[in-house]
Amino acid sequence: MGRYAIRRLLQLVPVVLGTTFIINYMVWQLPGDPFAGRCGQRPCPDSYITAMREQFGLDQPILVQYWNFLKNLLTGNFGTDFNGVSVATQLGDAWPITIRLALMAVAFEAIIGIGAGVLSGLKRGGFVDNVVTVSTLVLLSLPIFVTGYLLQWILGVQLHIIEPTVSDAATVPELIVPALVLASLNMAFTARLTRTSIVENLRADYVRTAVAKGLSNRRVVAIHLLRNSLIPVLTFLGTEVGSLMSGAIITEGIFNIHGIGGLLWRAINGQDYTIVVPVATLLVLVYLVSNLLVDLLYGVLDPRIRYE
Amino acid sequence: MSDPTATQDLIKGAGEPTASPVAVRGDRRSLWRDTWDILKRRKIFWISFVMLIVFLLMAAFPTLFTHKDPEYATLAKSMEGPSADAWFGYDLQGRDVFARSVYGARTSIIVGVLATLATVLLGGLTGVLAAYFGRWIDAVVSRVGEMFLGLPYVLGAIIILGTVTPAQSNPGKAMIMAVVIIVLALLGWPILMRIARSAVIQAKHQDYVQAARALGAGPLRLIFRHLLPNSLAPILVYTTITIGSYIGAEATLSLLGIGLRPPVISWGIAIADHASYMRTGAHALLFPAAFLSLCVLTFVMLGEAVRDALDPKLR
Repeated sequence: MGRYAIRRLLQLVPVVLGTTFIINYMVWQLPGDPFAGRCGQRPCPDSYITAMREQFGLDQPILVQYWNFLKNLLTGNFGTDFNGVSVATQLGDAWPITIRLALMAVAFEAIIGIGAGVLSGLKRGGFVDNVVTVSTLVLLSLPIFVTGYLLQWILGVQLHIIEPTVSDAATVPELIVPALVLASLNMAFTARLTRTSIVENLRADYVRTAVAKGLSNRRVVAIHLLRNSLIPVLTFLGTEVGSLMSGAIITEGIFNIHGIGGLLWRAINGQDYTIVVPVATLLVLVYLVSNLLVDLLYGVLDPRIRYE
Repeated sequence: MSDPTATQDLIKGAGEPTASPVAVRGDRRSLWRDTWDILKRRKIFWISFVMLIVFLLMAAFPTLFTHKDPEYATLAKSMEGPSADAWFGYDLQGRDVFARSVYGARTSIIVGVLATLATVLLGGLTGVLAAYFGRWIDAVVSRVGEMFLGLPYVLGAIIILGTVTPAQSNPGKAMIMAVVIIVLALLGWPILMRIARSAVIQAKHQDYVQAARALGAGPLRLIFRHLLPNSLAPILVYTTITIGSYIGAEATLSLLGIGLRPPVISWGIAIADHASYMRTGAHALLFPAAFLSLCVLTFVMLGEAVRDALDPKLR
C-alpha cells in the first residue's frame, strides 16, 4: 500500500508538469495577443507591449518562463494581476467560498443521489424507480446553466423565495440553491450508479445468505447491501470533487458568487491571464490530487482490491 | 420495512431470468442484427429517433418550420412576449425567437457531430495504435492523454478559446465554428482513446487475431479488418452520448462568451444574450433553453437505448 502510494505519487509528477505546461503554453504562446484590448478601443502602443512583455517575462524563451512559473508556484508566489493586485490575496478571499459551495454540492449529491438510487434499486420497475429514471434522464440532458437560470427565474424572480444573486458573504442558506444547481448533473449520475450497483449486488450470494439467516430486511439493506454497493459511488463522488470546482465557474457566474469560479469568469472576461494561469493551475492540482486520494481510498474501502 | 413480503421481493428481484430477449432463429446472427432487434422494441428508441429526425430536418431545412428570417429585426418589437404572430415572442433586437431557435439547430448539430467525429478519429486512431504497437508508443499516448484529462473540461476550453479567439477578435463564421470544434475534440479525445485502447487490448490476444496473424495478415489488415470492427460497439455507444454532451458544451462555451458568437445563430448565444433580461422577458431565454435541452435529451436517450441494446451484460 505504502509503495503503491509512492508510485502513484511519482506518476503524478509528469502529469502535473505536463498539464501545467499545457496551460502556460496555451495562455501565453498561442497565436493571439495576450495584451489585446488592454488599451481601450485603440491598439496598444508598442512601448506598452514591450514593457508588459518584459514585466511578465514574455521576452524569455518558453522553457525559461515555465521554469520561473514552477519556481514561483513552489514558493507560493503568485505575483500580481494586470492591475497590480496580489493574486494570492484574491485567491485567499475566493477559495473558502468555493470550498463551501463544493462541499454543499457533494453533500446534496450524496444524500439525494444515493437516497434516490437506493430506493429505485430496491424496487426495480416500481413507481419510484420510474420516477427516478425519468428525472435523472431530464437532469442529464439539462446543461448546468439551463438548470441555473431556470431555478433563478422560478425561485428568485417569480416566487421570490430566494434572492436571485448571492451576497458577498455567501452564507450557507444563500448557497443552497447554487449548490443544488452545481450538484444536479452529478446527482443524476450518482443515483444511476447507486441503482445499478444495488441491483447487481441484490443477486449476490452474501445478500441471499443474509436473508436466509433471517436478518431483518432493514439490516440486510443497511449493513450488508449498502456497504458493498456504495464503494463505486464513493469513488465517483471523490473523483468528481475536482471537476465540481471547475463546474463552479458557470454556477458562480450565474449567481454572482465571488468564489474561485467567479474570479476566473471575471478574469476571462477581463482577459487577465495573470489570474487565469494560477487559478487554472490550482484547480488542476485539486483535481489530480483528489483523483489520487480516491484511488488510494479504493483499496481501504474494498479489501478485495490488492495493489501490486 | 421488515415484513416478509418485502424480503420475498428482494429475492425475487435477484432471481430474475437474464436470458436474451431475442429469440434464436436459424439465420445468421450478427451483433448488429441482435442490436437492431432489441432496439426496435424499445419505446425510448423510437421516441428519440423521431425527435432526432425532427431536429435533423430543422438543421437541414429550417424553412420547413418557419418562413421568417432569423436576422430580420424590428427594434420596436424588442422583447415583446409570445403572440399569435410570433409564437415565442421577439428577442432583444426584435428578432423572431422561434425562427432563431429553429435556425440554431443547424449550428448545434454541426458542431456536435463534427466535434464528435474529430474526437472519434483522433481518439480512436491513437487508442488503436497505442494498443496495437504497445511499448513506448503506448506509454507516450497514455501519458499525453492523462495530461489532457488532467484539464477539467470547461477550464481547458476557457484557456484555449480565451487566447485563440479572444472576445475582441472577429474571425469569420466558419472559423469560429472550426475553432470550437477543434477545442472540443482536443479535450475529449483521451476518453475515447482509452475506450478504443482497452477494447483493442482485449481483442488483441483472442484466437481469431492470432490466427489472422499466423496467416500472414499485416498490421493494417489486422487493425482494420479484425481489431476495429470488434471495438466498434463501445465506441459507438460513447459516440452517441458524446454528441449530446458536446452540444451542451458548445452552448456552455457560447454562454461564457468564448465559444460561438454572432453572426452565428446558436441557442447558447441566445441564452447568453438574454440572461440579464430575465426579469422583463424570460421568453427570449427559456425557449432557446428548451430547444437546447430537448436536443441534448434526444442524444442522451438515443445513447441509452443503443447502450442497452449493445451491452451484452445487460441482456
